[in-house]
Amino acid sequence: MATRRGLLAAATGGVALAGAGAFDAVVARARDAGPAEPPDTDAQGRLLWRNWSGNQTAYPAARLAPATEDALASSLKTAAGPVRVVGAGHSFTALIPTDGTLVSLDAMTGLAGHDDAALTATVRTGTRLGALGPALAEIGQEMLTLPDINKQALGGALGTATHGTGETLQAIHGSVTAFRLVTARGEVMDLSATQNPDLFHASLVGLGGFGVITQATLQNRKLTRIKKRVYAMPTRDALAAWPQLKRAHRNCELYIVPFTDTTAVIAGDATDEPVQPRGPDTDTDALMQMKMLRDAFWAVPALRKFIGRTAMRQIPESLAIDDGWKLLSNERPVRFNEMEYHLPAEAQAETALAVLDAVERLRPDVFFPFELRSIAPDEAWLSPFYQRASGSVAVHAYYKNDYSFLFDVVEPIFRKAGGRPHWGKLNSLQAADFAALYPRFKDAAAVRKQLDPDGKLLNPYLRKVFGDV
Amino acid sequence: MRTFLILSALCALAACKRGPAAEPADKVASRAARILPADARLAGLYRASCQNCHGHPESGAPPAGYAFAWAPRLAQGGDVLLAHTIGGYNGMPAGGQCFACTAADYRQLIAFMSAAPDAAAAAGEKP
Repeated sequence: MATRRGLLAAATGGVALAGAGAFDAVVARARDAGPAEPPDTDAQGRLLWRNWSGNQTAYPAARLAPATEDALASSLKTAAGPVRVVGAGHSFTALIPTDGTLVSLDAMTGLAGHDDAALTATVRTGTRLGALGPALAEIGQEMLTLPDINKQALGGALGTATHGTGETLQAIHGSVTAFRLVTARGEVMDLSATQNPDLFHASLVGLGGFGVITQATLQNRKLTRIKKRVYAMPTRDALAAWPQLKRAHRNCELYIVPFTDTTAVIAGDATDEPVQPRGPDTDTDALMQMKMLRDAFWAVPALRKFIGRTAMRQIPESLAIDDGWKLLSNERPVRFNEMEYHLPAEAQAETALAVLDAVERLRPDVFFPFELRSIAPDEAWLSPFYQRASGSVAVHAYYKNDYSFLFDVVEPIFRKAGGRPHWGKLNSLQAADFAALYPRFKDAAAVRKQLDPDGKLLNPYLRKVFGDV
Repeated sequence: MRTFLILSALCALAACKRGPAAEPADKVASRAARILPADARLAGLYRASCQNCHGHPESGAPPAGYAFAWAPRLAQGGDVLLAHTIGGYNGMPAGGQCFACTAADYRQLIAFMSAAPDAAAAAGEKP
């Protein structure tokens, strides 16, 4: 709170000094008008579907919410294509839009079973990650990793290779030991690394294009308390220290705040110290203050940076100790669009710096932090982490703002560094690009075709992804 | 002026001399975390989607059962609230991330979440 007041005071004083702030704020209001709102229904009276950020829309002819695998299998045989399965709609890419059939697994949630000795749990994939944390805690387990946001459904998280952070931690799908797939023809297949291993590795990160994963068995660990620290560092110091930081902590990530020369380090480690619950969310206030700073000092970048740096460096270290599922994910009520690429780990810091320099030079409208995380390699054929230790860099754009700079300014830098895009986040790649980046891409596409020869599960976007046009 | 209009509309909607009162945060959070619609199908929809935010005040969403937070929203009228639900509005993602919901479901879910505690109980609030 003291920091917030300090920033506000500094910004207010700055406006008075700069004189240009009021004009910039007016321009900012026009800039934040946002995209045109789509109608609630189309001409046929079909209800709007829209993703979390609002950049993808569709008017599906049919919506299904089967409560059982049998009902799902039966529906898939007869449903009009394209059939797309939706979780929480957290992807920014056009994975979901369909004018055919939208399938929700919201009626297929919760634990289907668990094994105390093996520390595994079989989870119905309509379960949202936020609900899975307490459900697993009740049986003394927790997931090995969790993403920054936990509103996603497990099925969507697996299908897009959603991940958390930790140099030794794989993405969520890396903890899957077995899963059940219902194909477009209504076949039900039980797959594991030992039972149909090729199908398992091909369709685990499957974008909903191989079939519908209805349940997955997760290798978990015993419920663990973690100690989470958040503190600020000069950005270049943080990037220089990143190799040591990510090795020193079980979970570690960096939030580079553009136009402030400052980075927040977020580090988590297992502990048995007494609980110190996390306090009220302060990230959202800080974020909107960065927006205010942008709006006030758009035309005076040096002053924007001075005030931003001064305010950010005042932020005191914060500490929380609690069960991991309560601390690893965060509330993000300010919506955004995002591009995230997974880079060879050794290229991550240098690439992040190049993106930061380009954005600060070319795009003063950006105020969201960049997020740097670490992900261990795995064996899923379409995993961006396939046999590669990875460092991710994510760049966000306020949901009401133009995000074309992600393609024009940011993506070329990511691609030059050999990055593989997050499947759910913005990118311009098509089949030939993916084939060059993923050693087993063509094998996976062939498996997909075998499981869904008529392409019933492919919408126009996925046809481009798989080269099935 | 806008505040005055909203307050006026709120009073008109509530058909009373004063609006719902603010409550202690811990009471609001406790109730939001536990209440469910009485109807089993609606409860399933709510649990799978709305509850992920409206059951947790720290999300920034108006908490379920906390009429005080819902009053200015209800004052805009049911059609506006429904449109904001379907298309998304500020922190509210489109459809409330409930893609099995129909427009009628949204209306019922809004009514459930925005009801005052006694009304929520009458509507079948589960302890």
